[in-house]
Amino acid sequence: MATKDHRLAIETREGIGTTKAHALRSAGKIPAILYGHGSQTQHVAFEAKAFEELLHHGARNALITLTMSGKNSDTALVRDIQRDPVTRKVIHADLQRVSATEEVTTKLPVVTVGSALGVREFGGVLDVILHELEVAGPANKLPGEIEIDVTELGIHDHINAADIKLPQDFKMVTPPETVVVAVEPSKTAAQVEEAATVPVEQAEPEIIGEKPEEPAETAS
Amino acid sequence: MLTPKRVKWRRVHRGRMTGKALRGSTLTFGDYGLQALEPCWMTNRQIEAARIALTRHIKRGGKVWIKVFPDKSVTKKPAEVRMGSGKGNPEFWVAVVRPGRVLFELSGVEETVAKQALRLAAAKLPIGTKIVARAEAEV
Repeated sequence: MATKDHRLAIETREGIGTTKAHALRSAGKIPAILYGHGSQTQHVAFEAKAFEELLHHGARNALITLTMSGKNSDTALVRDIQRDPVTRKVIHADLQRVSATEEVTTKLPVVTVGSALGVREFGGVLDVILHELEVAGPANKLPGEIEIDVTELGIHDHINAADIKLPQDFKMVTPPETVVVAVEPSKTAAQVEEAATVPVEQAEPEIIGEKPEEPAETAS
Repeated sequence: MLTPKRVKWRRVHRGRMTGKALRGSTLTFGDYGLQALEPCWMTNRQIEAARIALTRHIKRGGKVWIKVFPDKSVTKKPAEVRMGSGKGNPEFWVAVVRPGRVLFELSGVEETVAKQALRLAAAKLPIGTKIVARAEAEV
């Protein structure tokens, strides 16, 4: 994943601002910015289809070679992606210039492997509490995801960030005591029973700052 | 049913429902979710009905998150009352939902069970929705 060669053709943007960005999007392009390495921030754009394809092939956490007018210009990491809340199409991206051997800090997705003991035998629920872990390591060796083996986890067991083995040259930035995955007993059946017994009408909420009626009457 | 415990004001302005949900539009806890495609005032009864449909279908196992809270009171004047004399009495509570908002999240169940449960829950809601999954979600 990390060694795969990802290439993206970029072009400089003529203008900036909402109107120009809308025009770019309707032409099938994505407005983006390219920054880092002390150089000036560049407003760039690239083909939406090519970028979506790159993301599909694991370029979210991998080094991308940027080409401008057919020549290699920079290597970069995708730092942020803004999407439309409904269509989920990419509307903007942040790219950071990063050299291959440079150490970078990034967030990698967590993937659980196997079925937990507490789920298999005792009907518990595997709860992935942290879906992303922050790690630091060489940019050209970034793994696409962090796999966590959960087969031995019983009920009320958990895995902390410190327990996770990372690839060589990588270190964990997420605080070591952070719980990443846990197995909890299932509460759903109990919740259904509880829902059947809860009365429909509820008391009126308390008004913040409003004086209670009785003390007010006694005072006057 | 979901109602606020404490509020600053008993009656609130109606507000606007224009635009899309800029927050709460991604899956944060679960593996599957139900996303709103239209704006609406979702009442606490509708949220509760959807929640019950969801939890009854998955029976045991799994975990459910409700990601909207009805914190806005809606007032009504009684029938056959002349206009004026102030705003009506709070009748029910609603959550302001804009397109893109993730309403419910679900984890710990198989894909088929999760999708059917969310389909049943969607039938209790006044708006069009779509099922979103973490696996298909953006990277």
